[in-house]
This record gives sequence, structure tokens and C-alpha cells, in this order.
Amino acid sequence: MSIEAIGITKRFGRFTALDDVSLEIPSGELVALLGPSGSGKTTLLRIIAGLEFADPGTVRFDGRDISDHSVRERQVGFVFQHYALFRHMTVFENIAFGLRVRPRKFRPSEAKIRAKVQELLKLIQLETLAQRFPSQLSGGQRQRVALARALAVEPSVLLLDEPFGALDAKVRQELRRWLRQLHDEIHITSVFVTHDQEEALELANRVVVMDHGRIEQVGTPDEVYNYPATPFVYNFLGNVNLFHGRVDDGKTYIHERETGHLVYVRPHLLDIDRHPNGGDHFRARIKHINSAGPLVKVEAITEWGALVHVELSQDRFRNLALLKDEAVFVIPRDVKVFEVPTRAKTA
Amino acid sequence: MAGSVTLRKGRTAANQGPRATLEAAWVRWTLIGVAIAFLGLFLFMPLAVVFSAALSKGVGTYLAGFREPDAIAAIKLTLLTAAIAVPLNLIFGVAAAWAIAKFDFAGKSLLVTLIDLPFSVSPVVSGLIYVLIFGLQGLLGPWLREHDIKIIFAVPGIILATIFVTFPFVARELIPLIQAQGNEEEEAALTLGAGGWQTFFRVTLPNVKWGLLYGVIICNARAMGEFGAVSVVSGHIRGLTNTMPLHIEILYNEYQYVPAFAVASLLALLALVTLVVKSVVEWKSQERIEEPQENWGMEPA
Repeated sequence: MSIEAIGITKRFGRFTALDDVSLEIPSGELVALLGPSGSGKTTLLRIIAGLEFADPGTVRFDGRDISDHSVRERQVGFVFQHYALFRHMTVFENIAFGLRVRPRKFRPSEAKIRAKVQELLKLIQLETLAQRFPSQLSGGQRQRVALARALAVEPSVLLLDEPFGALDAKVRQELRRWLRQLHDEIHITSVFVTHDQEEALELANRVVVMDHGRIEQVGTPDEVYNYPATPFVYNFLGNVNLFHGRVDDGKTYIHERETGHLVYVRPHLLDIDRHPNGGDHFRARIKHINSAGPLVKVEAITEWGALVHVELSQDRFRNLALLKDEAVFVIPRDVKVFEVPTRAKTA
Repeated sequence: MAGSVTLRKGRTAANQGPRATLEAAWVRWTLIGVAIAFLGLFLFMPLAVVFSAALSKGVGTYLAGFREPDAIAAIKLTLLTAAIAVPLNLIFGVAAAWAIAKFDFAGKSLLVTLIDLPFSVSPVVSGLIYVLIFGLQGLLGPWLREHDIKIIFAVPGIILATIFVTFPFVARELIPLIQAQGNEEEEAALTLGAGGWQTFFRVTLPNVKWGLLYGVIICNARAMGEFGAVSVVSGHIRGLTNTMPLHIEILYNEYQYVPAFAVASLLALLALVTLVVKSVVEWKSQERIEEPQENWGMEPA
């Protein structure tokens, strides 16, 4: 089912959570709403679900205006950040809940409910834990039960609020892969909220980057990462060095002071060498080296006193044999230039 | 899912020898001694006196105290009052706690203050309020007389006064509990297609049942033991408008010590039962909160 949100504004008192946001999600996609806290991403998700209502704004499912429909009528599957499992019910009863509360006319028979719950327990690989209570489960297990409970009612869309936020890194990785697989199998239109750019880029077909109640960019992970539309997007998706600069005849110059342009360079797009090599470069002095991990992270002080982060491959680092306090040349391989926005955004 | 990560929570520091916050032995024993002496003098001794006075002339005389028609009427009236006041306050308390904990509305803090009013006002004043409203010379007096409705110096007055005095108990118990549990489970129920009543009976109520039971027990104890407010509105008509506490007072004033203490022992027994049930409920609800959460990782594949 496709989802359309048109001209959504939402205020909480004097705080504007969403400012005239419009978004279209084609059927069957897995979309990430990505942004820092306070960017309005969860509010947008809750408005799509019907847990909040837009001040002005329209929500459409498959072209049908459902703005006035209650959450009950919208039949969405919603997975809450802290799972919101019914703590006095077993895993089995949690998953069966959505079927049991149906009006008698539409309620499946007890045998059918059992079959459906068994099927879902198998899907989430928790068949042996059906009689446990939520408090007896780990975070990852709870998350999967929450997902099974949402899927039990065969919702038209699946909405997930920070689905992996409260889990530790390893479990998060596993669940991410599992959710990706699940989506490939059942192709339900899914929207999830996250503040973790890595999660959004890895899991989603499309990423919606949000800030201050507005959508900054919508695109595939490749598009938003490699072709960011705004400084905010560039900044938010990955680490970045920020310089002041100036563009002259299509050539970029880096300056010490504000000059009307901002120059963004990702750490892995900077190289370090002992010789200037004839190309663009600036001087710096190495301050700190962290060689643990797939990339070596180097912190250096530029000739005008700013801090610059550089990421080198382990091979490159070993060939150079860099030392702390060494004077080197920093060579940008690719930069991104934006005009200084009217709304001040500093890195 | 593959991988087995089993983390065990560390034991709490409570049973690992002396702690920095522990006082010296003599300080502890002095404080404990003072507390026990105080409890003994002001709680256990009076309780023992009630039972020993009641039984001072033998079991036969003790039981005779309950066979008296006035005593039976007083017990019946007390039970009737509690049977009406407690369920009404249960409904009121749940509704008020639900409204206060789940929603923001104008006048919310005023409502919270009003709920506390019976706690802060002397029961005698509460009784007098009813006399001023429903009494013959009261605000509604003439109208009530015209329609031949008797409230003051009759059973309805006693029930009204009891409801007023006991209405904070359930609400006060539930408000923090419902507040602490948040809205998420209810929202989850709604997204799964449950209606308002289904959400309430299947999700909200089971989550607060122990707190609710606790509130009801305390409310019941107070409803049966209330003296001040009931005394003002009852009129002390023997066999008609005397509750157990009022009956005890009358007997005592007439120097009928054994029957007075016999009925008093019944109320004391009620208090003891209440305390036991209350402890069990507290222990039960504690148990639910502290259910073990040992296996934090994924289950072995």
C-alpha cells in the first residue's frame, strides 16, 4: 500500500515538530526517516499511524484520504521503540492479541488463531518461548515479539519507531539483516525511524533525511550519501571536515576566515603525504593517531590552527609510517562546496 | 538466530559484608530497640488490651455481645455501607486516576487537590458539610422534606459521608502507578485494533490490578472504621443508624465494657486481616516487578 503525506504541520504548544512536510512512499518500499532528535521524524511516523493528528495536513493510503481515520481503522502495524509488549501476557498471548480483540464476526476461530501465532513464532524463531512473559526475554527477543504481534493482524503498512535503538551493537546488526530479509519476503510497505545513519543507509531502499521539522532530502542511500542536497545532509551522513572557502573559476580555495562558501570534505577523501605532489594541498601537523579498526584515524592541526580528521587505509598508513607531531601535507581528493546557508548550521 | 550471549547481572552489594553507609552496631540496636518499644507501647499493647478486655468474662459473654439485636444491626449497617461505598469509590478512583494520569486538561491540578480534600479536612467537618446541605435547616432541606427523602440521621447520610471520607484511597494509589506505566501499551493495543473498553479491560486494568486491590483494601478498612463523619450524620439511633464504631462508643459510655470490647475486637480483627492481605498484595506486586531478567542475549540457535 502506498503512503502519501501532504502538507503536514504539527505543533506541540509553541514548538513546531513538523513544518509543512510532504512525502510520498511507493508501495512495497522500505523507507528510513533519518534525523537527529527533535527533527520530527517520530512525529511524522505517528501521524501516518494515526497516533497523532496533523494540525493541517492530509494522509493518504493508496490514494484514499484517511486523515480522519482513527489508529484502529487504519490497520497499521506499529512497533514501538521500547516494544510496548503487554507485560502481563505471555509471548503467545501478545501475538494473538490483535486477533482476539476483533469483533466476533471477523474473529478467527481459536484453532486458526493458534495456527497463525505458531506461524509467526516460527518466523521470529521463538517457538520454544511461547509461554514466557516479556520480562523473561532479552531485548532482541522482545523486539521480534513486538514485530510478530504487529504482523499478526496482517497490516497494510508496517511502521517502526527506532526499532533497534535500545539494543546492543551485535544484536542490532543481526536484527537489521533479519528485518531486511523479512521485507524481501513479504514486501509490506515499511517505514522506520532512526537517528543512526549507518542503519538507514544499510537497511532502507530510500532514505528521508529530516531536520528541524523539515525534509532535507529524499533519495536512495547512494544518492543521499554521495550527492547530498544540503550541508546538513552531508554533515549528518558520516563524519566530515568543514572549512571556509571560496570558489573562483570553478576552482575551490580554502580560507581561514568566513568567505561565503563552506567546503565539506569527508575524512576518507583526504590523503596525507610528505610531499605536496603538485596538486591541491595544505600543511598540517599530526596530533593524534588511532590505528585500531579497518581505517586509521589521524587528527592533525592545519597551518591556520583548525582541527582536521583524516582516514587512511591500513596499507597507506604503514607505507607512510607517520609519526605524532610530524609536519605533513594534506591532499583533498574530493570536496563538496555549499554556499553559506542563511540559517546558521555549524559542524 | 545464531550466537549466544549470556550476561549475568552482578549480585547487589547488599550481602557483601559491611558497607560505607552502615551505622555502628550499637546505633542500629538502639534505634531498633526504640522503634520496637514504641510499637509495643502504642500498638501491640492496646491491641492485646482490646482482646483481653473482650474475653475477660469468658467466651460465652464475649459471644453474647454479638447476639444482641443492636449489635447485629450495627454490623449489618457497617457491611452495607462498605458494600456501597467501596465499589463506588473503586469506579470513581479508577476513572479519576485514568483521567489524571493519561490526559492533560484544564483544571487537572484542581481535581488532584480536590481528591486530597477528604485527607486534609477533619472527618467531623466532612460530616457537618452534609448536615448543612441535606439537614432539615440545610440548603436542600425543604426540598427533601417535600419529597419525603431522609438523608441526615438516616442510612443514606451515613453512606454519603463514608464515600466522601474514603474516596481518595483508590485514586491516590493508582495515579502514580498509571503514570509510571506510560501510554505505550495502550497505544499498542489501539494499533492492533482494540477498542477503548477492550484496551482498558485487557491492558490497563491487568497492569494495575495489585495496586488497585491494595487501594480497595485500605478503602474498605477506612469505610468500616470511619467514626467522625458518620457520627455527625448518623443521629445514633440504635438498631437503625448505628455503625460498628458508633455502637462501640455507645456501649462504652454505658459502662458495658465487655460487649463494647467484643465489637471492638471484631474491628481490630478486620484491621489485622487487612494488614495481612495488604502485605501479601505488596509482596505479590513486588515479585512481579522484580522478575528475573538473567538471559539478556539471544537464545542458543
